[in-house]
Amino acid sequence: MSWLRNPWLHRALGLVLGGIFLYAAHAKILDPRPLVTIIWNYRVLPAGPINLMAIYMPWMELLAGIALVTGFKRRAAALCSTGLLIAFMVALGINALRGVNVACGCFSTSAEDVSNAWVLVLRDLPMLLAALVMLVFPPARRSGVPTPPAAQA
Amino acid sequence: MRGLVRDTLLLVIATLVLGTAANLLPGRHLAWWGKGYEPPRAEVDFNFLDPGSADAMRTSLPGVVFLDTRSTTEFAAGHVPGAEEIAYTDLQAQLTPERLGRLRSAGAVIVYGASDETDVEQLLAQELRRRGLAPPYVLIGGFLGWQGSGLPVDGGAR
Repeated sequence: MSWLRNPWLHRALGLVLGGIFLYAAHAKILDPRPLVTIIWNYRVLPAGPINLMAIYMPWMELLAGIALVTGFKRRAAALCSTGLLIAFMVALGINALRGVNVACGCFSTSAEDVSNAWVLVLRDLPMLLAALVMLVFPPARRSGVPTPPAAQA
Repeated sequence: MRGLVRDTLLLVIATLVLGTAANLLPGRHLAWWGKGYEPPRAEVDFNFLDPGSADAMRTSLPGVVFLDTRSTTEFAAGHVPGAEEIAYTDLQAQLTPERLGRLRSAGAVIVYGASDETDVEQLLAQELRRRGLAPPYVLIGGFLGWQGSGLPVDGGAR
């Protein structure tokens, strides 16, 4: 399993997942108001916190995306991404079980962008796996890094 | 582990700061809490209408407006005669004061989509109601229902 700690794998996963998050965030950041309707359509939250989700979630996606792409605080971004993806999958899964296909609001704020909820759950799965790899298997430290003097003593 | 918790908190705090600052900007402000969106309610925000009654209304009443919420491609391929295109995701730009005034003075407003698959027609009807229109009608079965009833169609599809 040491390949899971390969720094290049983490860079590649960070670029792909971060790019997806940045793309997902842009329309919602420009105007979060249609997102309220989309989150409401999921029918998993009461009316009150829906607005808070619409206000803050796009910024979490943006910051996680930047951190994943640049590698700055990548593991923390992977943790946030894991949380976001689990939340998305739970919301989609509930609607899939209800037999309701929702506009996911994943990459657009169009309420007409309706897809099969099970397909959306499956689409999120590889992203969750990528986030988990970055979270659970941090890259191995590079060899040749000098040992701190305190450790030499 | 401690570093991970600290870095995650940092991201969360940055999210809260940026989200709060952005939501204070005029033009994109959302209420912080409580309002949410009430679900559109039949017989309050809109009334359902079957295709046959909608066609009877169209041919017998003056000033009946059909609003088509489907994509431009679908609209071009065929629509209810005289229908107007409207994009639910771009209402700010499309519901100009002139258009709203015209819709308010219409004999009836009938909203339809592709079928009954989405809630968009009901959400649009609710939005129009909020903006001072009498409760619009939502066409049962959407354009598919209209076509399926053998009613006239303008555009490409027959």
